[in-house]
Amino acid sequence: MNPILTFIVILIGFYGLSTSDNIIKSVFCVTIIESGVILLFLNLGNFEGGAIPILNDHLVDIVDPLPQALMITTIVIGSTVTALSLMLCIKIFHHYGTVEWAEVLRREDVKS
Amino acid sequence: MINIPILLIFLPVVTSILVYLFKWKHMNIVVLGSQLILTILAAIYFGHFYGQFEHTHLVLGGWDHRIGISLANDELSMSFIFLSIFTWWMVLAYTFKYGKTDHTFLFFLVFLQGVFLGLLQSNDLFNLFVFLELTTIIVTILIAYKKRGESFRAAIYYILLNTSGVLLFLIGIILIYFTFGTINIVYLHETLTPGDDTMVLRLSYILLMAGISVKSALFPVFTWLPKAHGAAQSAISALLSGLVVKGGIYLFFRMNFLYDNVGIHYGDFFYWVGALTAVVGVMFALSQKDIKQILAFHTVSQIGIIMMGLSSSDANTFYGGVLHTFNHAFFKSLLFLGAGVIIQVYRTKKVTEIRGVMRSMPVVSVFMIIGMLSITGAPFFNGFISKSIIKYGIEDSTIRYWILFAVNIGTATSFIKMSQIFFGPRTVSYPIKNMAQNFALFGFALGCITLGNFYIPFTESFFGIAYDQEFIHVGAFIDYAVTLGLGFMLYHFVISKDYKPIQNIRNFKLSFESANYVFIIYIVVMVTYFIWL
Repeated sequence: MNPILTFIVILIGFYGLSTSDNIIKSVFCVTIIESGVILLFLNLGNFEGGAIPILNDHLVDIVDPLPQALMITTIVIGSTVTALSLMLCIKIFHHYGTVEWAEVLRREDVKS
Repeated sequence: MINIPILLIFLPVVTSILVYLFKWKHMNIVVLGSQLILTILAAIYFGHFYGQFEHTHLVLGGWDHRIGISLANDELSMSFIFLSIFTWWMVLAYTFKYGKTDHTFLFFLVFLQGVFLGLLQSNDLFNLFVFLELTTIIVTILIAYKKRGESFRAAIYYILLNTSGVLLFLIGIILIYFTFGTINIVYLHETLTPGDDTMVLRLSYILLMAGISVKSALFPVFTWLPKAHGAAQSAISALLSGLVVKGGIYLFFRMNFLYDNVGIHYGDFFYWVGALTAVVGVMFALSQKDIKQILAFHTVSQIGIIMMGLSSSDANTFYGGVLHTFNHAFFKSLLFLGAGVIIQVYRTKKVTEIRGVMRSMPVVSVFMIIGMLSITGAPFFNGFISKSIIKYGIEDSTIRYWILFAVNIGTATSFIKMSQIFFGPRTVSYPIKNMAQNFALFGFALGCITLGNFYIPFTESFFGIAYDQEFIHVGAFIDYAVTLGLGFMLYHFVISKDYKPIQNIRNFKLSFESANYVFIIYIVVMVTYFIWL
């Protein structure tokens, strides 16, 4: 896979963030950006025909193991962020009865 | 001795887990005990390595130093560590009664300290990212802790905008890793030479700076800060405004040290970003009526002033900016905590409705006045010193000087507006005798006055710079009086009348989509500036 394609995934995420009016859609757009970043990192460390980086007797042509180690951490952090954001979405729905950014803002003005 | 940085990270984390597991009644005493051990450890570490911080480089787990997790300290990071330990002491004192019953709150509060100390000491770029994300997550929970509609909205605005910024920071790290094969900051600093000034490196610089700009609330992407700091509890607002935002500023100069050898000239760009941040922050602060919103927008404007100092290539002015981060931590935390006590008693946040604080709470009023004098830059208080240093640094350029002057007038105006709460008859009684809260206020006020008068030993030992100019002279007093006079006139004839444009500014809200749109435009401007110019 070409690194350019992963950049396109990241840009799709940013496009979604700057256009979607739904909070849950925004959460997923952040997830899309994160997937793009993970793909980019794994992609740059990979090459055609590279072996799995597990230590054995004949170590030849293995892919760079560091990106994989780092990206596992990123995935864990990303899932935490997603879980926390979705929890906040539920709470916002309980308080305002909607998950649209503009609608939430409008109802807050009505309340105050 | 060299392993103390690990303890500095894990001691608060382990303590917080104990708090959460054993929900014992006197758990906050245990927290204070661990805080005491933490302070002693940091002091021993500083005393041992003072003057030879190049030996503090620590790689965990015996890995290759280019790729392993590593921690390192220097004078600057040590000064930030002491600042954060002090701030946590005071915030723990302030929430002493509250922490007795609410253990979940205490858990997140103490956990955040460990994570923040990790952010300050981390020496490899990936762990910087991890700690940045961890602070974002914990701060989100603390913002939403009041469980009110507005705090949930502020929290989700905060976490989504900051996560997208921090992910850009991660792309920057990826580009660095694949260009140089290492993510160790000390090692990178030695390797980078002016010959490395390639397109990819510049792109990585832009992405790192984009992430840092969101974290430290610079001009176009500051919109999360007033929401978040206005919606959180006062103790948390003090912590966030005083310290956690400075995590972004700290990374700003950490990263710029990294790129120093390459010769990317960032100064002018970030000067203007800082100037815009300061001016826009003050403009919004002037229009607000909510006491916490005023303080939150002043955090934005003070960050602008800090950036005006940090963007200078002259070492004196640069460290003036660093000193201002410290001063701002003291006076802004003091103001937020004081405002918290006042809100608690008056049960309203409206500046126009709170009157007679001087009569009902004289002690708190005195501390608040110290904070206000510091932020407006009165001689003998700490804000004056750092503002003067920055002012001397940019005196050559007329327009830069006047921008700073205008921001100072705006600050004075808005605190004259806020000082109206002191006057008037006594309306409420203040039966709460909470000595711990007063102690926290006293600690920060003492910090304001100490740094305002005895700053030279501090800057000498931590930054290696002795300011030999005499800042306090007749001109300074005249300057301050003129600023206050102009501020009073502005307040009396414009702000207090609450004209239509002021109301429009107050009601202006940037939606989340627009904030992201603005963020993308900001990145495009940075690409244009750093790659094509």
